[in-house]
Amino acid sequence: MKTLSRRAWILYALVFAFLAGLCILFYTFFTKADTWAMKKENRHIYRSGTLIAAGTITDETGAVLADTVDGKRVYNNSKDIRTATLHVVGDSQGFIATGVQTAYKDTLTGYNFADGIYDIKKYGKGNNLQLTVNAELCAEAYNALGKNKGTVGVFNYKTGELVCVTSKPAYDIGNKPTENINNDRTGAYEGVYLNRFFSGVYTPGSTFKVITAASAIDNIADIDSQKFKCSGVHKVDGGSVKCMGTHGTIDFERALNVSCNSAFAQIAIQIGTDKMTQTVNTLGFNQTHTVGNIRLAKSTFDVTGASNLDLGWAGVGQYTTLVNPCHMLTIVGAIANNGQAVEPYLVEKITTQTDRTVLETKPTTGAQMFKAETAKKLQEMLRSNVANYYGDGKFRKLEMCGKTGTAEVSTNEGGDKPHAWFVGYSGREDLPYAIVVVVENGGGGSSVAIPVANTTMQKVAEIYGKK
Amino acid sequence: MGKDTKKKRRKAYRKPVKWPFLLLFMTVFQMVCMLQIYINGTQESTTTLFVVFGVYIAVEWLYFLVFGGFLRRKSFEIELIAFFLTGIGLTLTTSVYPDKAYTQLIAVLLGIGVFAVMLWILSDTKRVIRLRMPVAVLAVAALAVTLIIGKEINGAKNWIIIGDGLLSIQPSEIVKIAFVFVGAATLEHLQSTRSLTKYLLFSLGCIGCLFIMKDFGTALIFFFTFIVMAFLRSGDIKTIFLVCTGALLGGIGILTFKPYVAKRFESYRHIWEYASTSGYQQVRLLIYAVSGGLFGLGIGNGKLRSVYAATEDLAFGMVCEEFGIIIAFTVLLTFVALVVYSIRYASAARSTFYSIAALAASSLLLFQAALHVFGVTDLLPWTGVTLPFISRGGSSMMCCWGLVAFIKAIDVRTYKRYDKITADGKERSR
Repeated sequence: MKTLSRRAWILYALVFAFLAGLCILFYTFFTKADTWAMKKENRHIYRSGTLIAAGTITDETGAVLADTVDGKRVYNNSKDIRTATLHVVGDSQGFIATGVQTAYKDTLTGYNFADGIYDIKKYGKGNNLQLTVNAELCAEAYNALGKNKGTVGVFNYKTGELVCVTSKPAYDIGNKPTENINNDRTGAYEGVYLNRFFSGVYTPGSTFKVITAASAIDNIADIDSQKFKCSGVHKVDGGSVKCMGTHGTIDFERALNVSCNSAFAQIAIQIGTDKMTQTVNTLGFNQTHTVGNIRLAKSTFDVTGASNLDLGWAGVGQYTTLVNPCHMLTIVGAIANNGQAVEPYLVEKITTQTDRTVLETKPTTGAQMFKAETAKKLQEMLRSNVANYYGDGKFRKLEMCGKTGTAEVSTNEGGDKPHAWFVGYSGREDLPYAIVVVVENGGGGSSVAIPVANTTMQKVAEIYGKK
Repeated sequence: MGKDTKKKRRKAYRKPVKWPFLLLFMTVFQMVCMLQIYINGTQESTTTLFVVFGVYIAVEWLYFLVFGGFLRRKSFEIELIAFFLTGIGLTLTTSVYPDKAYTQLIAVLLGIGVFAVMLWILSDTKRVIRLRMPVAVLAVAALAVTLIIGKEINGAKNWIIIGDGLLSIQPSEIVKIAFVFVGAATLEHLQSTRSLTKYLLFSLGCIGCLFIMKDFGTALIFFFTFIVMAFLRSGDIKTIFLVCTGALLGGIGILTFKPYVAKRFESYRHIWEYASTSGYQQVRLLIYAVSGGLFGLGIGNGKLRSVYAATEDLAFGMVCEEFGIIIAFTVLLTFVALVVYSIRYASAARSTFYSIAALAASSLLLFQAALHVFGVTDLLPWTGVTLPFISRGGSSMMCCWGLVAFIKAIDVRTYKRYDKITADGKERSR
């Protein structure tokens, strides 16, 4: 008996193995629960691949953009708003990866390990999400893009709230033209699931001159007293950087006003690859950024081993440089905010059906992108661009500061039209808003992008302005 | 018997649990389950619902009143666990298969009947020895018959179906009781190498039959039980190690030379890649198990129930989703309690037969629960074994109740009034 009871102790090994297994199992459950519960196979949350259990999504004014009613997802009444906010809200099948319905689906469904999907059972939907965007403003900006593809983004450069994010092409989510999208041969729906503001990267063209200028202010002591000659082309190393005009002899500020390629190629070569790279890295190039749960496409600038000719082209925003619109907006916002970047955000807060706050975004400052005095100088130059070159008549009562860009995307004559850019902000104290406009293959920055920017900013002034 | 033994005996008999309070608590729990089914309307027939729960709760109280009240027995841990688990299983079946509620109730009653009969058989060791041989022969015969006339369901030929689906039994479940019974009885009276050889042949016969049936899960359970019993008897860890290595090599050999066996485990650790084929059930189990959260969605609110064989193969997931992860893990811990109970009482048993039987039976249940839980959650290869007491099925219900009889029988107080047991606890001393 005695020996037997001693041997019986070995069964404790079995018990401990089992308990260890239970611990592993519980740990696996605990760590994987979110992923598992959000799988499309979960019929509590999805019905035939469609999210049915998310809560209400509203814009900053409280207007409902998406809601769950009787187990079905319904969207805003206005077709314009549905279309303009498509990419921000996202679809319920997850085609639009950066839409909040996908990027925040676990928070939206209100799933958590302790309660499971209990709230969905009880209230028929999960957590509510309030966006920072203004739906009317998005619709205005979307329509301003007209027939072109592209994106418009506006944010408050002091707080970081993205009040306008829209991307074209889009479709009416209440009436999805699935057939047209799938059989599209005209290219009308090219990249329709892509939010160009977050996921797009474009050749920046002349908007990049703002960055070259910033680097020049920091690295070339006598930049203000230098004069640059432009004969319509700047010859370097047997090649040449072409200019849009023949500007003669001009100074630094005027070179930015008229967007002289010859001058900026010379400036970039003067700065050199190392200093240029240093500047763009401070601005967050070649790094991955996020807006909440949304990952931005990476802006890239790489002049390692580049010839002077290439560096010249890079200085005017061509060469291999690519910029993400949201990133560009953050940079311009930092200039307006005296060099201090503020991180843009899209989700104001997420609350449960019982009004408990699950997530609330607070303004967060990012990197000190520019020295305060550099930012001041850039502010003056950007204001000078509008005041002395584009004309304040193009932005009535906005006191705009900004820079256009015409990004060449085709090397051959008669190829694709260039991308039209505008980046800038209102100089008005009561309107701390910065804007980025990209019109794909739209043509010239001042002729195409400025009107879009103006329409959008006038709406911004109408909504937020106190004058 | 000296003073030491006296002390030891006192220590061995811990203070018994206060059963009336726990029974009341359990009854309330089962009433809540019944109420949830009633509110959710998953059982269309209110009569069936009330009859099934009414009868079950009545049987519980009757059992405790007879043994605790009338016969003045103490120590009801084992029954409380068995009734608790069975209640959960009964709740699931009543709710998921409204038309099979009565069948399951009858299975439960038969199980309790088996438990009572087993307790009676086990009360007399001479009877046990007498029955040893016939039981062994019957067990092997039952498995052999299954091999011949059995029907293949879900890849394993382990069902005997009589009268066009009127009665379906899984002989391998009943044989589990016989396996422990014969094993413990033989090892208790190991007089000659001849009887040992006979016992080895018996074990080999059982495990072999199960292998041919392709019921690998059950074969593994039998093999494990065999190892436990052999070790308890011999204490020879080297031989056990050798046997295990041999079995492992054999297993590897089978997987190498019989690709169809390996194919059954193709989705192991890759269930998400087989989400719509061989990993279908497991993927659903994981998704819905965590959907229930710690406190569950309530009976009838789950979605796992609509997956094939949810109340049998996926019982653990059902409990997680509808009862909550806390109760699901509590259920698993009760199997640990059975083993710990057996270990603690092993020294207080009347003879080694009781100790070996109880230890084998409890570790069998724990091992089966482990295979079920870790298999279905993809931590171990999935063999499709059921969760004892909870999974629906008549044969397995009888098996489980039969096995707990071995655990119950280890305690002398099962057969004697606690206050009448003398200091040394031996029956014959009175």
